[in-house]
Amino acid sequence: MITAASNLNFIIAAYTVTWIVLLGYSLRLVRKGGRARADYERIAQQRSGEKSQ
Amino acid sequence: MISSSDQSRDILTARPPRTGVWPAFVSFGAVIAAQAYAILTSPAEGDMGHLQKIMYVHVPAAWMTFLSFFVVLVFSVRYLWRRRENDDLIAASAAEVGATFNGLTLMLGMIWGRPAWGVWWVWDARLTSTLVLFLIFVGYLALRAFTDDAQQKARWSAAVGAIGALNVPIVYMSVKWWRTLHQPPSSPATLDPRYTMGLRLNAIALLLVMIYFIRRRYEIARLERAVEHMAEAAAMGGQ
Repeated sequence: MITAASNLNFIIAAYTVTWIVLLGYSLRLVRKGGRARADYERIAQQRSGEKSQ
Repeated sequence: MISSSDQSRDILTARPPRTGVWPAFVSFGAVIAAQAYAILTSPAEGDMGHLQKIMYVHVPAAWMTFLSFFVVLVFSVRYLWRRRENDDLIAASAAEVGATFNGLTLMLGMIWGRPAWGVWWVWDARLTSTLVLFLIFVGYLALRAFTDDAQQKARWSAAVGAIGALNVPIVYMSVKWWRTLHQPPSSPATLDPRYTMGLRLNAIALLLVMIYFIRRRYEIARLERAVEHMAEAAAMGGQ
């Protein structure tokens, strides 16, 4: 049976899921961005090293 | 006119993004403020009671899904027309963000459905068409993940993205075209004004988050493409 108290649980669940998704996707972007930037720096350094030789 | 080789050179010279953290703080701060306003000021609704508060996250998430896929449609068509890599990367970024909001919309709908309808899921036209939309864009992302050739990936995903986004009007109109358990769309004319401001504020806040996500994802995609170009150039003899 759905009661006012259990309604509150569903409301809390909805807002919790929303924040998990928003913060989870933000974290994914931070990690992905960090990896991409590291790859870029590594290859850029390799290229500048090759040119200077 | 800019040729595709000019465009490749443009991407080749990309530098790591310089976007600071302030857009994230502003957009997430706006969501916190909008949610607090809506939760604290909206009275219990006659039929649903406080369960109505789920609408402040469910409805804006659905709107952001539609908007993201509209961006996919526009930039997919632009890619097919002009063949510029930037258009492909923007479309792909919007598709990933749109799929995230789409998944969130489905989850929130289920959380709403259980207490309101007594079931987590029903094969209703609105729910089913939203699930189909989600699966199309999961397929779009899988297609990109498993296709190595950049041009082929861009061409195929532009076609899938454009066709997939055409499903959005079907999702929107499903509650009008078929008899569904899902309620028809509300408008300021049908919605109690006490709920309108909370809904608008949450929609604007989530719009800021959506723009931040797409922009950030695009910057990363551009950087990844630059790395691919540099690695290819190195493999071909350091041109």
